[in-house]
Amino acid sequence: MKLKKMMALMLTLVMVLSLAACSGGDNSNDGGTDSGASTDTTDTSSESTDSESSDTSGSSDVELTVAIWDTNQEPGLTQIINDFTEKTGIKAQIQVTPWEQYLTMLEAGATGGSLPDVFWMHSNEIARYSEYEMLLDLTERIKSSDVLDMSKFPQEIIEIYNWEGTTQYAVPKDIDTIGLWYNKTMFDEAGVAYPDDSWTWEDFRAAAEKLTKDDGSQYGLALRPSNNQAGWYNLVYGKNGYIISDDKKSSGFDLPETIEAIDFFASMSKDGLMPPYEVLAENEEHALFEAGKVAMIMQGSWMLAELCNNEYVIENADIAVLPKDAETGRRPSIYNGLGWAAAENTEYPEEAWALIEYMGSEEAQQKQSDLGIVISAYEGTMDNWTGAYPTFNLQAYLDMMDDLVIRPYSKTTVRWENMANDKMIMAWTGDKTAEEVCQEIATEMNALLAEE
Amino acid sequence: MSTRTKVRGTNRARSEFIWGWMFILPTMIGLFILNIIPIFQTIYQSFFKAGAFGKGNVFVGLDNYRRMFADASVWQALINTFKYAVVEVPFSIAIALVLAVLLNRHMRGRSLYRTIYFLPMVAAPAAVAMVWRWLYNSEFGLLNHLLNTLGFDSVNWISNPNTTFIWIAVVGIWSVIGYNMVLFLAGLQEIPQDYYEAAMIDGASAVKQFFHITIPLISPMMFFVSVTRIIAAMQVFDVIYMMMDRNNPAFFKTQSLVYLFYRYSFVESDRGYGSAIVMLLLLVIMVITVIQIRMQKKWVNYN
Repeated sequence: MKLKKMMALMLTLVMVLSLAACSGGDNSNDGGTDSGASTDTTDTSSESTDSESSDTSGSSDVELTVAIWDTNQEPGLTQIINDFTEKTGIKAQIQVTPWEQYLTMLEAGATGGSLPDVFWMHSNEIARYSEYEMLLDLTERIKSSDVLDMSKFPQEIIEIYNWEGTTQYAVPKDIDTIGLWYNKTMFDEAGVAYPDDSWTWEDFRAAAEKLTKDDGSQYGLALRPSNNQAGWYNLVYGKNGYIISDDKKSSGFDLPETIEAIDFFASMSKDGLMPPYEVLAENEEHALFEAGKVAMIMQGSWMLAELCNNEYVIENADIAVLPKDAETGRRPSIYNGLGWAAAENTEYPEEAWALIEYMGSEEAQQKQSDLGIVISAYEGTMDNWTGAYPTFNLQAYLDMMDDLVIRPYSKTTVRWENMANDKMIMAWTGDKTAEEVCQEIATEMNALLAEE
Repeated sequence: MSTRTKVRGTNRARSEFIWGWMFILPTMIGLFILNIIPIFQTIYQSFFKAGAFGKGNVFVGLDNYRRMFADASVWQALINTFKYAVVEVPFSIAIALVLAVLLNRHMRGRSLYRTIYFLPMVAAPAAVAMVWRWLYNSEFGLLNHLLNTLGFDSVNWISNPNTTFIWIAVVGIWSVIGYNMVLFLAGLQEIPQDYYEAAMIDGASAVKQFFHITIPLISPMMFFVSVTRIIAAMQVFDVIYMMMDRNNPAFFKTQSLVYLFYRYSFVESDRGYGSAIVMLLLLVIMVITVIQIRMQKKWVNYN
């Protein structure tokens, strides 16, 4: 049966080939879009006049795509966008892509020349997008806007989205702070006083010890090694250590302060104050908290919608500020802020800008806080945020704003951050000491930073 | 040469020649644009340090390959991929073959069973993996819950570095059995009934018939299935991607080459290095496939 043999061979060949094709598919744009995408839309940006006048005239049939990654924020943002549509007649449709795929989606969009019109930008990614001019230049538009007042936003957040001091690529959306969530019922049962602003990290550990039960039904704390911003970063900076130097050229992982901070949490894991590492790896911290498995978690303000709407949490939990470091007296909160950016090659640059401008206006920022979506970045709009979930002490999150430290970033944050998170697992499981792990991370991170 | 002159010869032959090409043209175009051109682009890309968004590539020669040969995680991933394939392929073939033979008889509810076994193939792989992820969950999972009620200790199905690949492969086997079974059923139906009748007259038992008639006559189909399954198993990605994350202590010992390729190419946007990894995988699969094709003379019975 020659035919059968041939068939089998052919099919095999096709299967083998299709494998390589999977990998190549995304590269196929390499040559084509190099110049095409970036050149032909630049002319419109220079004569950006007052947007209000231009959009009401002829763009009522325009629909912008707005890409975000947080489902929890979708309902609130939809309300704000509806206000915007009412005012300007420009429609906009929110598309949510989960965080895990969001950046991949954006990158594919950028490579293929099909970015969404308006989207969230993150400090981890902004450098590449700026360097390759994928984003709409907002500098002039911001200058001539009378709705947007950049001086009302935290300077550090503006800087994240500013390329080499000349070009502004995004308008700040929000900021976040970190709080300590605790299970009141468990604290009562163990006879431990609720955390307050007098707590040091030593008190924190002592409480975790009392809250951990021997039979494995309850643990003091859940903190994954990958929870850096809401987790161990805070203590690193609290001890006056750092993750990356100010000039973004060297790693701070080999500093004694940093090692000490990481060791603090790693040993809590090793000493059994956290669930076994396997459980921690398979379940997210907030899931364990919501299931009544752990007494404390550290979570950013962006998690509010998830936690505050959970019945078990409403019944049993509250929020406090993070503990402070006994020696330095510092209680820093690692903060970050998203930015609203638009695609360089969007079909509707004026409409996209109008939306971004509106999102940065005091009115929209105020509403964003009032609805409890997130803490707005705009000065003076935050106070009402605490009213969004009155059963919880949201004030703790605002109190954390006294010592804000910007989330460490560089041009290739993702690479060294992922590398560090991967290695950190060994410290949590106790296979290596925190010191060994930190030294390894520092070496590799310095190499990666040198490549930038 | 002779065919050529023949084509030139008659009008009919020529028009057949043209129409033949016309018919395969759509496939050829697809193959070229979607498969063959990208292969060369991937090879090309693997010699570059990629900038973002397909721009700013810098030629680095063999640097990506050098880095790959020194990278322990690549070799670990290759081993992981092999381990997965070694579990998945034999079991999925053996179980599917037995099922196919059983379901090839006349019995009640035959098509119902066939449908049930084929169902996993219809379900979206991502959804399948999500469900299994929760079944396997060490804390809230159904499997451990059952074990606990029966008085056994919980098992860390998908976070024990030494055994996780097995449980991941179980999901793979479960998903693909139906597909293999359908292929085997097709193969079984081609076997003439006379052979079995003759064997029965000679007094051969059912087991004997299975090993001496069914297996040899279905070997071309088995060859096809095993070749395609090995290739597919070597490319395992979705189950691992959906069921595990980087926090997982078993991750390093479970991640496959394709996962590593995905991570470098898409998460860390190091396209050049990702391409080099996938070239390694391509090479490995080609070698395995060539060996299989060479070996087929030994066991595949084409008549």
